[in-house]
This record gives sequence, C-alpha cells and structure tokens, in this order.
Amino acid sequence: MFVFALAVVFKLCTIQFVDGDKYRAMAQKRTIKRFDIPANRGNVYSADGSLLATSIPKYDIAIDAVTSTDKNFNKYIKPLCDSLAVFTGKTSSGIEKKISKARKTKNQYLLLLTNLSYSEFVRVRNFPLFKLGSIRGGFVYDQTTKREHPLGGIAERSIGYERKDENNYYTRVGIDGAFGKDYLRGTNGKRLKQKIGKGEWKPIQDVNEIEPKNGYDIYTTIDVNIQDIAHHSLLGQLEEYEAEHGCVVVMDVKTGEIKAISNLGRNREGKYYERLNYAVGESHEPGSTFKVMAMMAALEDKVIDTSTVIDTKNGSKRFYGRTIYDSGAGHGKISAAKALEVSSNIGLATIIDDNYKNNPEKFLKRLRQWRLNDTLGVSIIGEGIPDIPYPGASNWSRNALPSISYGYNMRLTPLQTLAFYNAIANNGQLIKPRFLRAVKEFDRNIEVFDKEVLVDKICSDQTLSKIKDILKNIVVRGTGKKLYSETFSMAGKTGTAWTDYADIEAWRKDRKYVSSFAGYFPVENPKYSCIVVIHKPSTKVGFYGADVSGPVFKRIAQKIYTDTPLIDEIQSVEYNNPQVVKDFEKFNSISNTYKTIMPNLVGVAAMDAVAFLENMDVKVNVKLRGSGVIKSQSISKDIKLKSNQTVVLEAS
Amino acid sequence: MIASAHSADKKVFEISSLSNEVKELRSAFVDNRGKLMGLKKESYIETKMKEKGIGISLNPPIKIIVKSSNK
Repeated sequence: MFVFALAVVFKLCTIQFVDGDKYRAMAQKRTIKRFDIPANRGNVYSADGSLLATSIPKYDIAIDAVTSTDKNFNKYIKPLCDSLAVFTGKTSSGIEKKISKARKTKNQYLLLLTNLSYSEFVRVRNFPLFKLGSIRGGFVYDQTTKREHPLGGIAERSIGYERKDENNYYTRVGIDGAFGKDYLRGTNGKRLKQKIGKGEWKPIQDVNEIEPKNGYDIYTTIDVNIQDIAHHSLLGQLEEYEAEHGCVVVMDVKTGEIKAISNLGRNREGKYYERLNYAVGESHEPGSTFKVMAMMAALEDKVIDTSTVIDTKNGSKRFYGRTIYDSGAGHGKISAAKALEVSSNIGLATIIDDNYKNNPEKFLKRLRQWRLNDTLGVSIIGEGIPDIPYPGASNWSRNALPSISYGYNMRLTPLQTLAFYNAIANNGQLIKPRFLRAVKEFDRNIEVFDKEVLVDKICSDQTLSKIKDILKNIVVRGTGKKLYSETFSMAGKTGTAWTDYADIEAWRKDRKYVSSFAGYFPVENPKYSCIVVIHKPSTKVGFYGADVSGPVFKRIAQKIYTDTPLIDEIQSVEYNNPQVVKDFEKFNSISNTYKTIMPNLVGVAAMDAVAFLENMDVKVNVKLRGSGVIKSQSISKDIKLKSNQTVVLEAS
Repeated sequence: MIASAHSADKKVFEISSLSNEVKELRSAFVDNRGKLMGLKKESYIETKMKEKGIGISLNPPIKIIVKSSNK
C-alpha cells in the first residue's frame, strides 16, 4: 500500500516538475491563441455612389449526416431533399441517396451547396431538418468573405480584383487590383485571445496588440448608366458580327475621367464576357484612325494644307517596290482634306512620304512630342506598350514611313488612341485618362485626384480647327456618313485595318479585320470622346469601321444626347390686359368675401359661378341650366347658405 | 473578479452575435443593392418596356425656363 502511495507521489512530482513546462505550455496553447483580425477591404464605388465592388460573406452549406436522431432523420429527410431539389434543380431522390449513404458511412461533413448569398443561406437554413440547427439537424456552414461585383459582368475586368496565392503573390486586375495595396487592403490586426465557452474566444490584454485598420473606399469615375449602355451596345454589335473581341471606352473631354470601359471577348461557346482589358492592354496596328495623327503632323509642319491636291491614282500606287491599295476604284486627284475624309491609304502615304522621306526624324519627332510612343501611365496594371519604329530599329525600312501614315507597321492601344482624340476635342490639351476620383474613409477624403495634363498644347489652333473640320465632315459626308444624324452631332474617324496578315495567302482566304471608330461628341463644345474597337468581325456580315464599330459610338452619343435636356429660355409671356386684371380682381374679391353667404352671381360667367359655390365653406348642390352668363339665381344674394342646400342657376 | 470575468465573457458572446448580425445584414444589403442596380439599369428597363411597345426617345426632353419679367 505504502509503495503504491509512493508511486503516486512520484508520478505527481514528475508531472509537476519534470514535465511541468511541457504541460503548462500545452495548456496555454490550447486556451490562449494569437488571432489575426482581418481588416475589411474597402469598397469600390462608381461616380454616382453605386457599389461596383465590395466584400460580402458567402456561405457553403454541408450536412452532418450522423448527428440527427433516427426519428428526426427519417421524418425530415424526404421534405429536406425535396426542398433542396427545388433549390438546386437536381432530383430529390439523387440528393437523398447521397445523404443516406453519408449517414451509413458516418460522414460528418457532406458538402451540399457552395457560394450562397445571404438570402439564399437564410432560405436553406429554414429547410426541414436544417431548421433544427447544428446538433439536432446536422446543419453545418462555412462563411467566407468574397469579393462581389453587384453590376455582374458589366465592366468586371476594369473593376477587377486582387487575389493572393499561397506564395503571397498577388494577381492584380483592374481598378481593384491597382489600388489594392495602397488603399483597399487595410492592415490586419493581431490580438491575443483566451478560450471561453461556446467556442468563443475572449480578448486578453496584450502589449503586442495591433488594431486592424480597414481599407479605404475608392470612388471611381465610372458612370453606371453610360457603362450600361456601352456594355450592351458593344455586346449587341459583337453578337451581330460574330466578332472575336472588342472594347469601348468613353472619356470625359475636359477632365480625362473614364466614364465607361467595356471589354468583351468570346469564349468557346460563343458567349461574350469580360475576358481581358483589351482597351488598356492590347496594343495593335490601329489602321486608319492613325491617319489623323499623320495628317496633323503634316498640317502642323505646314508641309501641306487641307487644300493641297494629292494624286491618289486609281486605287493602287507603288511605294519602294510595294503596292498600297485604296478600297474601291480609287479617288484620283483630291484635296488632302478629302483624302482623310474618304480614308485614302494612298493619299496619306503620299503626303507623308513626299514630305518626310528625306527627314523621317522630323515626322517621328512630332509623334514623340504627342507622346504616342510612350505609355500613358494609367493606374490599371498591364498597359500595352506602343511601338513606333524609327530609323535603325529592326522594324524600320523605307516602307515604314508610308505604312505608319495609315496606321500600319506600328502599335498603339485603344486607350492611347483615345487620349489623342480627346486632346483634339479638348482644344489641344492632352490629358491622362484616369479611373479614380477620390479615396475616402467614410466621408473623409484621404486623397482626391485631379486631372493630369501630359501635354499642354499639342498643336496650333489653326491645325486644330482644320482637323476638327475634317473629323466633322467624315461623319457628314465621308466614310462615316452612315452614322450621320440630323438631331445630334458627332465627329470622328473610321478605321478598318487588316490583322493577322503575316501569311498573306492564308489571310486572303480568311480575311480578318480590326474595325474601329474614334471620335468625340457633340461637335461644338465636345463633352465626351469615345473609341470603339472590334476585332475580327465575320466578313460575311461586314467589316467596315463605320458598320461594325460606328453604331456603338452612335448609340452612346445618342444616349448622352437624349439624356441631356435641351434648355429653352423664353421671356415671360405675361402682359397686362386691364380687362383680365379687373375680372380677376373681381373674382378674387367675391371668392374671398363670400364664404357662407350667397353672392350676387348675375352677370358672372357660369363657369366662375359654379366655382364660387363649390369653393364655399358650406357644401351646396349646384344646378346649372344653360351656359354662358348667369341670368338668375334661385337664392337671392346675402342669404346665408345651409349645408346641402340646392342652388339653381339659370344662364343664357 | 470572477463576476467581472463572467460579465466580460457575456459581452464577448454578445459582440460575436452582433458582429454576425452585422455581417448578415451587410450581406443582405449588398444582395438587395445588387438586385436593385440590375433593375435600375437602362438596358433592363429598355427590354422590359419593349413588351409594352415603349422605346427610348430619339429626342431629348426640352426644359423650358420662363424668365419672369415682373421681378
């Protein structure tokens, strides 16, 4: 007995002193834990305060198939499966089989539904069996925070997201991605907590405590209404022309704010969705929209004027052993302005080659001065890099100069082209397109973004007004005349460029084009500039810039036109007619004086007489015989009227 | 000491249930806000009104401002 007691004491001491530290540490580990307190990510708003991106909880629902009693399980399993069948669209018997199997195999976590919104979650929580809760009903759920875009697929790519993988590498897309690090993320907090009942942890005092700092909200420049129209008109046009992909960007002329940006690409099933940010990221041969830049360089250098006659021959002309073609049978001898209006490749190539072949640097210097060889430095990550060849570069040849003049042998992104057109609309001031208005913490501004001027004046006012005239005329009578509208004005340039033509034989069999339209509206005091680029439309349906991309531009222009009320100011129509004033004063004095007493109505217009009586403080029944002026009244004047009394008026 | 520890525990439970409620309400808010934004979209209204034969006007509304002369 004593030996036994000794053994107990010995064991006690071992636990207390020898292994004590280990067990104490273990106890603390189980009951005290350092928690990361996640910071809430900020929201992304549109210009008018609509939510574009926010973090909300999403729910995964599973069932613990073992915990419920046989009685409850048998009673509710059928209705539960019926409800789930309605919810998911699967068969009830299939779901029941799965759950019953899980019960047999003692599976305590059978995942049923994922990624539910809160309202769906509440609905499922009230299903039979689940209603009983987690212990009796086996209702198990996981809550995770997901980034949600309430607008759905609209502008998804530009609003973007930020994702961190297991190596802490961030994938950063769109606005959400670009501003994640600086504004949206916030910083996580840290806190020591002690375990208490019901699976909860209680914070305990800790010197290393760090409060979480929630991310800031960002207000973008996106206008939900314009975005909606841009998205749907682009989508409609892509579907009609079975195009591969396309993008549209709308920019506010004065401020450089991007009002809408939509990028749609086709997936294997032929459906379109926001795939890549083509507008920002894809640099490609712009084709004819670049002729405007070439023309402006020539005008600004005064090597030509709009009236200079250019011989565009009859649709083909050889430059350094290579033939350049115009669509159709050619335009013959036309003015330089006309060459741009009809988008003559030969015309532009001739202008630029004739005047700059001995000094290409002079031409390229203009383009560099307009920052066309440089990225805009927009905030969205992954801006496409423009490429304009120069003498000595691998893609430079004698043919490079005439090619550049009509937008080939070089690359630009749609956004870079748009920024330039915007500068034309903005009286020569080149501004950086921007996506952000302000960063806020609740109502407090953390940072406010203003317009950023890249080049204060790209060219002289004369050149500007000349090019503006041409852009206007393109829509009135040039390649864009199908878009002309009598009610509202717009100006712009069409573009129909070949693409994927490296293998020219293959290209001739299956022609691929890039159709574009860039411009601004209204012509006087432009408000918005816009570019539409659609890649590889089905040539069976059409491929010209004016047909494929133009209508998207027109729809947006029209939408903004119809949304802005026309204001008509007129001088007051009032003038003093003594008779009217007299009659009015008479009427007024009668109706203000006689409230309960019958007035003298003889000689008063019947219309007015009825109105007097009906507006009395006493309710009377008026009977009017005839029309015109009152001749007699059944109750004589100055008699007090009684309620519901009938008054008969005779009129001539 | 024990009483205050318990009252602290109670507060922790309360906080956690309230913060759950906040999450739920927030989620419901975003859910409904998203739905509302979908319903408010011009493209949605356009398709809805097409059934009734109403389309978007090609002309903007005209606002008439009358300048009163007797001021």
